[in-house]
Amino acid sequence: MSEVGMEYSLKGILRELLSYKSGIASIVILALLIGLSVYTVVTIPPQKAIAMWRGENNMWIENPRNAAPEWMAFFVHKNLPKTFKVASWEKSFGIVKAEAPLPGTSIKKIHIEMSFNYPYDDFPSEVNIFFRAKFNASKNTPLVKIYWIKPDGTRIPVTEMTMRDPNQILYVSVDQQIYNNLVMWLQKEKGITPYKTVTTQQILFGKITPAMAQGKVDVEKGAYKLVVDATTYNKGDDVDLKLVVYGTVYGIAGTDHLRRPLIIALLWGTPVAIAFGLTASLAISIIQLFIATISGWYAGIIDSIIQRITEIYMIIPFLPFLIMMAAFYKLDIWTILAVVIVLSIFGAGIKSTRALVMQIKEYPYVEAAKAYGASDARIITFYIIPKILPPLVPGLIGSVPGFVFLEAALSLLGLGDPYLPTWGKIINDAYNNGALYKGYYYWILEPSFMLIVTALAFAMLGFALDKIVNPRLREM
Amino acid sequence: MSSDGYLLEVKNLRKWFEVRRGFFSKPLWLKAVDGVSFALRPGEAVSLVGESGSGKTTLGKTVLLLHEPTDGQIIFKGEDVTHLKDKKKMMWYRRETALVQQDPFGAMPSFMTIYRILEEPLIVHKVGDKKEREEMIYRALEEVRLTPVEDFAPKYPHMLSGGQLQRVAIARALILGPSLVVADEPVSMLDASVRVEILNLMREMQQRRNITFIYITHDLSTTRYFSEWIYIMYAGHIVERGPTQRVIRNPLHPYTKALLAAIPDPDPENRKRFREVPPGEPPGLINPPPGCRFAPRCSRVMERCRKEEPPEIEVEHNHFVKCWLYV
Repeated sequence: MSEVGMEYSLKGILRELLSYKSGIASIVILALLIGLSVYTVVTIPPQKAIAMWRGENNMWIENPRNAAPEWMAFFVHKNLPKTFKVASWEKSFGIVKAEAPLPGTSIKKIHIEMSFNYPYDDFPSEVNIFFRAKFNASKNTPLVKIYWIKPDGTRIPVTEMTMRDPNQILYVSVDQQIYNNLVMWLQKEKGITPYKTVTTQQILFGKITPAMAQGKVDVEKGAYKLVVDATTYNKGDDVDLKLVVYGTVYGIAGTDHLRRPLIIALLWGTPVAIAFGLTASLAISIIQLFIATISGWYAGIIDSIIQRITEIYMIIPFLPFLIMMAAFYKLDIWTILAVVIVLSIFGAGIKSTRALVMQIKEYPYVEAAKAYGASDARIITFYIIPKILPPLVPGLIGSVPGFVFLEAALSLLGLGDPYLPTWGKIINDAYNNGALYKGYYYWILEPSFMLIVTALAFAMLGFALDKIVNPRLREM
Repeated sequence: MSSDGYLLEVKNLRKWFEVRRGFFSKPLWLKAVDGVSFALRPGEAVSLVGESGSGKTTLGKTVLLLHEPTDGQIIFKGEDVTHLKDKKKMMWYRRETALVQQDPFGAMPSFMTIYRILEEPLIVHKVGDKKEREEMIYRALEEVRLTPVEDFAPKYPHMLSGGQLQRVAIARALILGPSLVVADEPVSMLDASVRVEILNLMREMQQRRNITFIYITHDLSTTRYFSEWIYIMYAGHIVERGPTQRVIRNPLHPYTKALLAAIPDPDPENRKRFREVPPGEPPGLINPPPGCRFAPRCSRVMERCRKEEPPEIEVEHNHFVKCWLYV
């Protein structure tokens, strides 16, 4: 009687689990993942997450593109630039705004000086200026002159423009006009023609040396100043602006090509992955268990039908079929889950469980149950399933990573959920944007790390459970 | 109850198992029980004795309708229960009959507590509420002397010994108050030391509750403890039946004689005595020999034995034998 001496209670199993290193590790990781999931779902509700991931209302415009996580600075031993913002409407130290109306006219001179410190070891990835002005676009619009003052006092005229739109954005680092202005200034004032790889940011934040001609620029740390002289022509007109200097690192997970913080998808990927994996493997295992039990118990024609269906199912190529479905119908993740379950309920697991049932149904205790009149349904649910369930649990847990990876694989192929941010989708974006080629390793490594940790936790739990319900596997 | 006071009447009962050799071949029949008749009054105990493969277990299980009878009739309390289709009638029959199995470890679901094991038949038959069931379970445990009952009830089967488990099995069989119990070699897997105890317990319960008992065994020596009647089975037939004492003192069938002679006896004198053991093996049940099935092994075989099946002859009062020697 190999079964004698086995007793399964939740408390007992938990106690036993904690006697294995892999059991402890898996429980700790799973607790963390579940905690993370709960935190995520509570703090970022799904609708909000979807809106955030879509980047509604240009909400990420002040985030850097493709910024690495902040902790990258630790590995490169450099003070990598973080994004910082200076706004003229903020009343703080270093920001000066003065207005001088021209007597007898509605013309007004506005002088803005914004000082900030730049202590970083690298150039910013981007510089933008966001205006927040008040004027009537059909009349004379404000004239704006912008100067850049370096720590050593060098004053560089950046641009001169008439505003078109009160919320105009000046993309300083990609504006060709500004670049030309800067180069012309360099040539005229310093006699340097910068090499064509030198960027606007490098001219603005770099030391101006003859080495620029060879394309070599060092960062110049220190106190910078942005000076804006604006002239407004109508009463009530005003000009305000915000300078955003984009860093190369962002948050704890970085950003992607659409400036979205990856942490949103990393966080949201956790509940999605766990829910998808657990639901798929639980539903499939339980449905298979019942089908197999019915097949084994009733034998005869029912058994034959179930077995033939199983054999047909076993021939259907699962992944190609799923890919086809997902490609045709652009399914959301829960529909994919349903398809996965439907495609798997008549899986190969039925064969082995059925064999087990056919063995157990000849056990004396089942005969005894028949002798006192227990119904078929009662025998199946209370006598046979409790007997075959424990050995199936490790396999059930162990098959969770497979489904987690399946979801990621479908997302990677671009067949995943179109709205929900998931780990697979990050990898898909990274792949589509050549992350590895461009050196954005974090973009691939972060979701992969989450996937591996999740898979590992479930796999280790499965192994540990296997040792408990299958004592022969125990290490001596 | 039928007019002649029988609780159970079995008439010419057959249980043939279908054996398929291949998909297209003609099915063969394994004739495990082949034309068995007997009748039992309430409170009678009968020992069904025979060697392995003689069909005694099949007979017991067919009587309990755990196997569908192939032919013949089973009449219980005046009702023909041979092919019960009605669910209500079937539940009544299940409640009126019970089974005690050979292997006490296998007979218990290892994942249920003793309490739950005993509660199951009550739940199935919707007996009482939770409180009443608890009372019944504790009383049943007391009756089989598993005391203190509060200690035993929450235990799992693996925490009990074979003898204790067999007591639980008896308690389970009797908890619904059956009038017919089939005990299939209930002590053959137990230690010799607890066998008599269990048999005495069963006998005591049987007599106190006036239960009809079919005690299946291959061990003639234990039948003395137990039964008024003894039935000797050989290859699907009952070859001899009668009151226990009479059959043991005066065995008629050559097979019974051989069985009795084979009982080991602690008397040292016996070592010198020659034991006549029938040569050969019991016949295959798929194609049993025509005529008497014991004929190939019988020391007193006659020409007639090989051709015609012997009838059942009442040699003395209530003592029947299926043998040409007594015609």
